[in-house]
Amino acid sequence: MLTVCPYFHVHQPYRVKKYRVFDIGNDTEYFNDSSETDLNNRRIVEKVANKSYRPTNKILKELLDKHPEFRFNLSFSGTVLDQFEAYTPDVLESFQELVATGRVEILADTYHHSLAFFYSVPEFKRQVQKHERRIKQLFGVKPRVFRNTELSYRNDLAKWCEDNGYLGIMSEGWEKYLGWRSPNYLYNPPGCSKIKVLLKNYKLSDDIAFRFGNKEWPNYPLSADTYADWIHAHHGDGQTVNLFMDYESFGEHQWEETGIFEFLKVLPEMVMRHPDTSFKTATETVEAYDAAGVYDVPDILTWADTDRDLTAWIGNDIQRDAIEATYKMEEEVMKTRKRDIIENWRKLQTSDHFYYMCTKWSEDGDVHAYFSPYQSPYDAYIAFMNALSDLQLRVRSANMQREERELEKKESERALEKPQTDYPDVTPTPDEKETHSIPETPEPELTPTSEKAGWWGKLINKIPFFKSPQRERTSS
Amino acid sequence: MRVLTFGWEFPPQQNGGLGVACYGLTRELLRDGVEVIFVLPKTQETAGDARFLFADDERLIKVLRTDVSIKPYMQGDSIVNVIVGYDSEGKPIIRSRTIIEEAHRFAHQASLIAQTEEFDVIHAHDWTSYLAGVAAKVASGKPLILHVHATSYDQAAGNNVDPAIYKIEKECFAMADKVVTVSQFTKNIVVNKHFTPAEKVEVVYNGCNMYVPPQLPPTLAELKRQGKKIVLYHGRISIQKGVDHFIRAARRVVDVDSDVVFIISGSGDMLTQIIEQVGAAGLSDNVKFAGALWDEERDRMYQSADLMVMPSVSEPFGLVPLEALQHGTPSVVTKQSGVAEVLTHALKVDFWDVEEMANQILASLRYPVIRQQMVNEGRVQMRNMSWQIAAQKMQRLYRSLLQYVTT
Repeated sequence: MLTVCPYFHVHQPYRVKKYRVFDIGNDTEYFNDSSETDLNNRRIVEKVANKSYRPTNKILKELLDKHPEFRFNLSFSGTVLDQFEAYTPDVLESFQELVATGRVEILADTYHHSLAFFYSVPEFKRQVQKHERRIKQLFGVKPRVFRNTELSYRNDLAKWCEDNGYLGIMSEGWEKYLGWRSPNYLYNPPGCSKIKVLLKNYKLSDDIAFRFGNKEWPNYPLSADTYADWIHAHHGDGQTVNLFMDYESFGEHQWEETGIFEFLKVLPEMVMRHPDTSFKTATETVEAYDAAGVYDVPDILTWADTDRDLTAWIGNDIQRDAIEATYKMEEEVMKTRKRDIIENWRKLQTSDHFYYMCTKWSEDGDVHAYFSPYQSPYDAYIAFMNALSDLQLRVRSANMQREERELEKKESERALEKPQTDYPDVTPTPDEKETHSIPETPEPELTPTSEKAGWWGKLINKIPFFKSPQRERTSS
Repeated sequence: MRVLTFGWEFPPQQNGGLGVACYGLTRELLRDGVEVIFVLPKTQETAGDARFLFADDERLIKVLRTDVSIKPYMQGDSIVNVIVGYDSEGKPIIRSRTIIEEAHRFAHQASLIAQTEEFDVIHAHDWTSYLAGVAAKVASGKPLILHVHATSYDQAAGNNVDPAIYKIEKECFAMADKVVTVSQFTKNIVVNKHFTPAEKVEVVYNGCNMYVPPQLPPTLAELKRQGKKIVLYHGRISIQKGVDHFIRAARRVVDVDSDVVFIISGSGDMLTQIIEQVGAAGLSDNVKFAGALWDEERDRMYQSADLMVMPSVSEPFGLVPLEALQHGTPSVVTKQSGVAEVLTHALKVDFWDVEEMANQILASLRYPVIRQQMVNEGRVQMRNMSWQIAAQKMQRLYRSLLQYVTT
């Protein structure tokens, strides 16, 4: 038996507008470009909706209706879901219809399409939780298999996923770590007993994602018939063929003129033509097969370029400067407890911003230029750093205001405590504790009301006769 | 292969980009075994191994000597004083002529040279030599390449183009077998403004001599001690160079950060106007005029500056950002320049977009990592901008013309 497990990754970032030094301190809208350029997020989402999301979802829905055995997976960034909701709600509905069939699985992800795992695990966890809540809210399902931004992967990420209850995790099937072994089996990460790794068959995946419309490619034009034969050739040499690619491969990276839609329309039929071939979702795949061995990835592995590393995102000085400056703000940003500040900070974590600053291909330009809305990597860096500078100002002023408020509170507390100056008050209240350690799930506590309740409660507790006996006991 | 080359200036005389380009290209052609006969309008010292002819040689022409140097950066009706002979007492007889008259005179001499010398192809640099190139072609029937280092449109920044120079350019381009420009930017001018067929025009980018300059003692030490950041302009002060836009950007920069000092190195016909503009903008504390700096003084300034700006309105190539890069200083350049086409690692702005120019200056001073990276990666990129590559492309052009002639 051979199964095919496709997953399509859906993502759009919030691109930073041409934000100038003069705007620092004067403009808190970093993502609201309204020009005719590719910095206009609404314009891009509407364009890609027409070229890719709408026609592809229509085909996928028809395929699901026609073939009860057809299955696939989707992964969404939270930033694309937010933009669908705001700009193209019909696209969001069409995705909901696909998921409602019960044969389309949604994968776990970071909300902001970030590289947070490699910079701050607590922040990473918050983004994964936020993503999970959003998926539950929009689609009514709970993801059970994880995939990380740009398919970035490392042993410790797999371990984290196992510890957090995921059944599977996606990664690149790369020779450096596979050796002679095939990507068409499941593996265990080292030190893990339960979670299994699904490896991308990059040859077959990239035939569609990158080579399909390339007239120089010897296999151009590729028919679904031929492609299905290539999949069938793995009978006897594997259990699952994992086809991982950007959703936008259909219609956006590979334009309609390449025949990509016609290809997609007949592919499931061609694949299932072989009697012992079927489709599975990621969860079905990890439940169906045992691991064939250990896949040991001590260094970061991604699905990008020939290097399969993060150099397209953090390969040069300006990229590292920008991403480090972003994560350095974490403690101060969280301390503000302001929803808009935290959300802007997270939008700036989206990996695309750093990709636009890549100078790796600036000599032969191609891939990078196509995906960047900026005229140069330096323009991207300047707009980003200016926006980040403004955010830093906002964080500083929010925290100063907060400290002032706390100081005032303390003074009023001291006034109230005066009759009992010898009373030893060493136990921090739960609220104070929180400001020192980052809360695991901050969202509910971020509302101003809960904050008010926090200091009000604190004030009440400081008054001796209001202190509950329980609290007395814990402090002694 | 032997090339009869006409030029207007040549090192070691101190001059602009034209002489530097002629020297770099000639040196590499000679190294590749191409014979170069280089004709200059007047006797001067020369660097390198080309065979030089001087059009003021007694053997060839009536004029004995021209003691006043003829600068190529002049309007067609600019007056030059020329010694046309000596009286009985040995005193020089001085006459005034326009530069266009001089160019015609040079052409007359070129015709005589072309009839006596043996060569395969003619290569003429800059508009002052175009007539000479055409005359040599008419006299010898050999193919002609005109090499465009600048056009009348650049000199005039688009307005008040000198009609006499434009006429020479347009007619000579029509007579040439090939027109070479130093950038796509200039090719567009030659195609769109002079109506030269695009297939006749080839782009050969200028090269840059890559070397690691010695570390010089810093200049402006006191300003640096005070924590000032230094932004440098180096070049002629003329309408073409966009210094007025630069001053307007400086005003916007100082509004945000008064610790930025702008140094203007150079002189030119707009100097008085720029000084007045600086005063009117209230920038006297932040803009300093250094006069025209050369050699070591200039290099010290390159090394001491935090950022270089080339605000040109119309710059066929623009060597200054590459020179600054060699000295470890990154640049803001205008998109209306040839160098913007070959140097990825510079900030690029439209010359009229003063706000963005100011933004780029401020941002690069705020975030030092961007400057560091532009220098590191820019230097790597410069290794691919050699005169050798330019010379190889020229040779291919020479050969293609020879085939065309013989068949």
